[in-house]
Amino acid sequence: MRKLDLTEKDPSGRITIYFEGQPLKAYEGEKITVALLANGIYWLTTSTEGRKRGAFTFGPVPMVVNGVRNVNARKTAVRNGMRLERQGYGDFQEAVKVDEGKPVLRQVVDVAIIGAGPAGIGAALEIQEHLTVALIEERGWLGGDMWLKGLPQEGFEGEPKGVIKGLTGKFNESIRVFRKTIALGVFDEGEYFLVPVVRENQLIEIMAKRIVLATGSVDNILLFENNEFPGVFRRDFALEVMNVWGVAPGRKVAVVGSRPEDVTPELERWGIDYVVVPNPKRVEGDEKVERLIDMNGNVYEVDAVIVSDGRRPDINPITQAGGKLRFKRGYYTPVLDSKHRIRDGIYVAGSAVSIKPHYANYLEGRLVGAYILQELGYEANPCIYKERLKEYEPEAVPIHRIPFEEFNLEDIQICGCDVSLKKVDDVVKQGITDLQIIKRLTHLAMGFCQGRFCLFNGAVVVSQRTGTDMAKIDLPVARPPLKNVRMKVTAARG
Amino acid sequence: MPTRKLPEKSQIVIIGGGIIGVTLAHELAKRGEEVTVIEKRFIGSGSTFRCGTGIRQQFNDEANVQVMKRSVELWKKYSKEYGFSFKQTGYLFLLYDEGEVEEFKRNIAIQNRFGVPTRLITPEEAKEIVPLLDISEVIAASWNPTDGKASPFHSTAAFALNAEKFGAKLVEYTEVKDFIIEKGEIKGLKTSRGVIKTGIVVNATNAWAKLINAMAGIKTSIPIEPYKHQAVITQPIKRDAIKPMVISFKYGHAYLTQTSHGGVVGGVGYEIGPTYDLTPTYEFMRGVSYYFTKIIPALRELLILRTWAGYYAKTLDSNPAIGKIEELSDYYIAAGFSGHGFMMAPAVAEMVADLITKGRTDLPVDWYDPYRFERGELRGQALQMG
Repeated sequence: MRKLDLTEKDPSGRITIYFEGQPLKAYEGEKITVALLANGIYWLTTSTEGRKRGAFTFGPVPMVVNGVRNVNARKTAVRNGMRLERQGYGDFQEAVKVDEGKPVLRQVVDVAIIGAGPAGIGAALEIQEHLTVALIEERGWLGGDMWLKGLPQEGFEGEPKGVIKGLTGKFNESIRVFRKTIALGVFDEGEYFLVPVVRENQLIEIMAKRIVLATGSVDNILLFENNEFPGVFRRDFALEVMNVWGVAPGRKVAVVGSRPEDVTPELERWGIDYVVVPNPKRVEGDEKVERLIDMNGNVYEVDAVIVSDGRRPDINPITQAGGKLRFKRGYYTPVLDSKHRIRDGIYVAGSAVSIKPHYANYLEGRLVGAYILQELGYEANPCIYKERLKEYEPEAVPIHRIPFEEFNLEDIQICGCDVSLKKVDDVVKQGITDLQIIKRLTHLAMGFCQGRFCLFNGAVVVSQRTGTDMAKIDLPVARPPLKNVRMKVTAARG
Repeated sequence: MPTRKLPEKSQIVIIGGGIIGVTLAHELAKRGEEVTVIEKRFIGSGSTFRCGTGIRQQFNDEANVQVMKRSVELWKKYSKEYGFSFKQTGYLFLLYDEGEVEEFKRNIAIQNRFGVPTRLITPEEAKEIVPLLDISEVIAASWNPTDGKASPFHSTAAFALNAEKFGAKLVEYTEVKDFIIEKGEIKGLKTSRGVIKTGIVVNATNAWAKLINAMAGIKTSIPIEPYKHQAVITQPIKRDAIKPMVISFKYGHAYLTQTSHGGVVGGVGYEIGPTYDLTPTYEFMRGVSYYFTKIIPALRELLILRTWAGYYAKTLDSNPAIGKIEELSDYYIAAGFSGHGFMMAPAVAEMVADLITKGRTDLPVDWYDPYRFERGELRGQALQMG
């Protein structure tokens, strides 16, 4: 077993990779970032301003793979003999292979569902008897956030992976599943919606009569000093390495944020030693987290920090598709009509709508599926789902007061692209409170994550510094592509 | 940046707080005039906010070359004085056939005549300037090292700040609703935040110019229409990988360069309109990717972070309408910049300030005569990118 392996891996898949020249054990199918973590390697890249970064919180992870620069280490699987090196954010591949690329494919379906978590699965199951479906999922698995969990989830019977397998096992041939596929956006072409998607550098144009945004929520980024240092894990990444890959975030970890209970039972299940620290101030270390210091000056010797601070709907797909937002229960949520639509033809379901248990998101997917069936002239009974959904009151997510005066603001990263809390706060203190202007002046929300992990905190800074109600803050809308895409993919002809 | 109460009166009111309105207010205030800018959103929020950074003197007619020569002098002067970045990293036009070369030889002759040091260079020289270029199909290039780029947002902010220091008032989040006119004379403007008394009004609203002209009851036909143009930005890469603005008419009328932050920014000549819609399109993302990767193959492996859209306020000959409108006392227009207004702004400010304060200007403002459309005297098409 490697340093941080939690489970014995299949020895037949054992391979050797090299990191900075040093041979390491890895297993076929593993992602680069996971294989390196299992070997105890956290620091993978360096930001433009020289900050060390890992793979498990915000910011990109470009690496040199077999001499090729700027390869996304989060999305690339290890191969035997692979040579990996660190690089800075700005390094890029000058000599590239020029080919015509893969020809563009086209698919026509009745409904394109973006996101295959419980909501997307629910919608697909509801409509599969009558309609054809493209189910588009960025990750390598179906089940979304629920797949990351090891413990039974409210409303479902049994272990989460088993439940998901049971549900997806009912898919019939009218559901076309696209795994490891990103959607670039939703474009209204009048007669139909166009959803261009990318799978392994292949551009596929999906044409659909109706769209379901089952695009989920994103983890909140907690503000503390060096909050993006190697060894800091977002909750979803921590659960992924443990429950999908059988690798521990560290041998002793600290859990911070307002929702430690979303992580601690999982740590207990794996027997990982942890401490809950309610008020983190700073993490420190040489190449990775070695200690966490709290607001009271207590020092915790740990080798990883997991941030579990709740989730908020990912608003980017909503606004790109033309939806409006309102602020409710501590987050921005899509404005829906009585049939869960942001506009004609585009439905939203799951934690993209509100934060609630997986089962409620699943019901909401079924509900939206039933509305679509009805709209297209098939018999359906949305009322059943609507009634059952009423039993789940959406959760409120607390907004933290940022204790500006107690922090060294320069060391807190609000955005993965070298935007410190100080940079943003300084601009707001000058009296600039329009997020559009703050964006231009600080580069907040202009990087790789397109604001997913930083825009909300930007709004919090404005709200707290000026006393403006969060509901009155105008959020910049997302522009395509919804996820980063290599230019060669969209350059393909045909 | 300023959000101020609407003053009761102002000698001169400029409608529109983009780069044109702001540089004009700066110039007038510097000359001691009492001037107010009224902007419906925030300073620099319209097309200025969405523009592509380029500043060039490589035009194809005498007037634009002269005006841009002056403009670059002012960009140099003010960027130094006010501490915003203006980099003279040049403009590089890639040429692919003899016809293009002949046309550019003519343009270069005009440019040289007015002291703009453009040269026709070889493909190898072009590759020395931008090592990432694919020059396999390029037969020559037009190169002027004194052209450059600036951040539209930071430069507008700097002009705004200094305009205020000279006493100009910049009123944001205030929309002009109507003109108050008595016997053919402007008496004031009605706005969303009350009335401002004034006798002199400048329409610097570019894409919205026809709406303001209609409010003023102008009968003269000054056709300015908003067209959707789009832009793209990639992930940031090492600084100075692409220093100049690179232009390729062959590949989609593309323009591209690198921002000070490191991203590769640019657009192509894919035009939609007339429209006030600003939704970025999938067709643009496809087209810009195809053309850009033809010009610089290394872009193939870069990530697109975002696309967006803005307006080109276009006239029939791609030249702006700048001048006094005689049918209403003291009403001026500086609008319809057709995709190259940002670069022109400091010189336009000087011209319009001259017209207001002296009634004449040494710069060739007649080229931009607002009455030329009605007289059917269109100019030669100004060289437009993107």
